[in-house]
Formats: sequence, structure tokens, C-alpha cells
Amino acid sequence: MSVYLDCNATTPVEPAIIRLVQRFMERDYGNAASPIHDFGEFALMAVEHARGQIAEVVASRRDEVIFTSGATEANNMALLGLAQHGLKTGKRHLISSSIEHKAVLEPLEELAKQGFDLQLLPVDAGGRLDPQKLAAALRPDTLLVSTMQVNNETGISQPLAEISEALQQHEAFWHVDAAQGFGKEIVPLQDKRIDLISISGHKIYAPKGIGVLIARKRDGSFPPLTPLMFGGGQEQGFRPGTLPVHLIAGIGEAAKMALRNQAERADYCRQFGQKLRTALTPLQPVINGDAQHLLPHTINISLPGIPSDKAIKGLKRLIAVSSTSACTSHTRTPSHVLSAMGLPEQIIESSIRLSWSHLTPEPDWEQVVAVLQTLREEN
Amino acid sequence: MNIFEDLKQAVTEQYEHGELPKWLADPVYEILENRDQYKDKEYLLEILTAQLKEYDVYAEAGCCKWAYDHEDVQRTLRWIAES
Repeated sequence: MSVYLDCNATTPVEPAIIRLVQRFMERDYGNAASPIHDFGEFALMAVEHARGQIAEVVASRRDEVIFTSGATEANNMALLGLAQHGLKTGKRHLISSSIEHKAVLEPLEELAKQGFDLQLLPVDAGGRLDPQKLAAALRPDTLLVSTMQVNNETGISQPLAEISEALQQHEAFWHVDAAQGFGKEIVPLQDKRIDLISISGHKIYAPKGIGVLIARKRDGSFPPLTPLMFGGGQEQGFRPGTLPVHLIAGIGEAAKMALRNQAERADYCRQFGQKLRTALTPLQPVINGDAQHLLPHTINISLPGIPSDKAIKGLKRLIAVSSTSACTSHTRTPSHVLSAMGLPEQIIESSIRLSWSHLTPEPDWEQVVAVLQTLREEN
Repeated sequence: MNIFEDLKQAVTEQYEHGELPKWLADPVYEILENRDQYKDKEYLLEILTAQLKEYDVYAEAGCCKWAYDHEDVQRTLRWIAES
């Protein structure tokens, strides 16, 4: 069995979370919308508890936590949900960056088709957005700014504190796609200037199929989101549908563990990353992105002379890695992130992403290097 | 801080400085005196702790319920006893 090094695509589920999820499937399976008996009351209590656990991580209020099916839905709710308000108020300018995940770029492109003016800002060679460029792009009719917390392909953390500064004097809504950073980098998301935050469960050791949109109130009012679905009124009318209590309990527990164990997890990942870098040194890898802003659990490297697909295939029995985002890795399209960073073609074509967690065992690095050396000689 | 210490802090705060009544605080102190008996019920104890931290006599008042009242705490205590 190979060692799984694709944790940015999805993480394994924490054993304690599996046990909790199982409890809500086997025993406490009530509907949180039917608190008329013990089953329903217990379910509702579990949902509210999870809401509190998530709110604590981002220093938010419990009622600002809206459960969704994942970060993609949360992104769509935040971006498409503001469209009506934009049309009503004549604000049609949208700002984002060229390295966003497709779950942000595609809803924004959809808005552009509907007449919104979409401006995608470039990033530097280190993979970061320049907050000054963002400040310069702001206009009186800017409705929304959408930026990611951590890039999924490079693991590079974006300058949220500086972006917040740039937005202090502007009333545009600010959405942060935190699918890759929530629970890993705590402080940046606690910034009250951020209006909307998208969170994914399966990137923080909870099961797939659950996510959250944090909708922070401004002066006591929610951002003016129009719901994308109707029927039931759950989640304060923003997101109807029967709540998946087992998954909600799971993401709540995952949030709690992320907050409680953040330092130890980061230490483990840092040490793992150090060993990885030392082991790969003989291959002279090129790190894609500014290593100063790299989160401890990810690295994107290029191994000139070894095409990505050959490396991934050749390493299959030893380690499981990928070349781009999980959502585009099957299409063989060159990474839009590395392209936006202005990296040369031979670097992009030989790039691989390795992402691990506190649950990842040590691979046999000697064998990994031997396989890659053989591939380089063959090529 | 372990869950029992967290629970102790929450119940003491609400009982001594908040509005948690004695009849609701007593069963919580009983849990704290018999920790071994409850050590496998961490999930429910965490819920109880969270409810005590946000305890509000008037939690049911108003349009939205964003605090916990005596009924919530009492119910959780019952679940802890029954589970």
C-alpha cells in the first residue's frame, strides 16, 4: 500500500470523528427539525453544538454558521447569492485572483455572463496576491472581493491581513475561500472584516459532503444573500433541506480538534516536510511558490526532466501524489495556478504536489528518490 | 485543560456569578465528584459545558434561541445519566 500524500485533495477521517459519525447513524438518528421527542432534541442539540465548535475557530457567532454540502456550495452561495443585491444597487464590479479554485472562478464567470464586470488580479512569481494591486482595483461600484486563504495547489498562504487593511475604507463584501486553510491557520480568519468564509469538512479530517458558509453580520445584519434553493427554511432560510446531523457532528468535532491540536499537527507536518525536502535534495527540486509563505503540510515542486504524469505513475506503488487540483487532475490541463505565477512550461509540466497530515506515516524516501532518478535517466 | 476542569470552571462561573440555580448546579458538581464514572462521555460533557457557558434564564425569549436555558441543561444531564 502506498503512502497517501494527497491530503489537499482530501484528508483521511480522524478515528474519533468516525466513531462520532457512526453514533449519529446507528443510534441518535433523529431529525434536527423535529425536536418534539428525544431523538429530534438530541439531533438539534448536536447541530447547535457543532455550530458553536465551528464559530469558535473563526471567532464568529453561532448564528453566523450555515451548514452546506461542502466548500463548493458555500462558494456558490456567497458569490451567486450576492448577485441580486448587486443588480439592485447597481454594483456590478467583482474582484478576485487568477489562482482561485474553480469553485470560485466558475461562479464568478457565470456572473460575468450575466453582465457583471469581473476583474481577476494577477499574482507574483511566489504565488501571492499583491494587496496594493487589490486596493488600486477597488471602485465605487465594487460589489465583492473574493480571495482564497491558502492556495490548494501550492500551499502558499495569501496576505489576508494586508487585504483586510486595503478593504477597511471600502464597503465591498469580502469572501474568503478557506477550504485549504481553515483549522490550519487560525488567526487570519478571525478578522471581522471578512464577511463570508467557505469551509470544507473533508480537508480537516471530517467526512465528505459537509461544509460551512460563515456569513458574518455587519451592524446586526447578514450579508444580503439570496438563497440558491428554496423549501424548508432551514439554516435561517439561506440553505433549506434536512440537516445531515451525522456529518454536522463530524465537522464540528473536526473544527474542535483543529483548534485544540493545531500546534502539534503543524509541528508534525513541519518535521515531515523537512525530511521530505532533505530526502529529495539529490534530485534538485524547484519549489513552486515563495517558501516563506508555505503552510507546513504542502509543497509543490518541479523535477525538471521528469514529466508530472510519469512521476505520478512511477511513484504509484510508493506514494500517492498529484500534479494539480483534484478537480482538474484528471483532465491533463496545465495548472492554471502555476501558469498565473508565470512559471516556464518545463517547470509546470514537471510539477507535482505533495500534501500530508499529522496522520501520514513516513514513506520510504530512498525508494522514492531511486524511482525518480531512474525516470530522469530514462527521459 | 481537560473536559472536567473546563466543566468545573463553567458551572462555578454560572452558579457563583451567573444565574444558574442550585438545583441545576448540584448534579453537575456530582459529575465532577465521580469523574471515573463519566470519563467515557466526553462528547456529552462538552455539550453540557458549552450549554453552561451560554446559560441564560431567558434563552427562550425573543424570536431566536441563541442561548441555553434550564430545560436544555436538564435534558443534557438526563442524557448523560442514561447513556
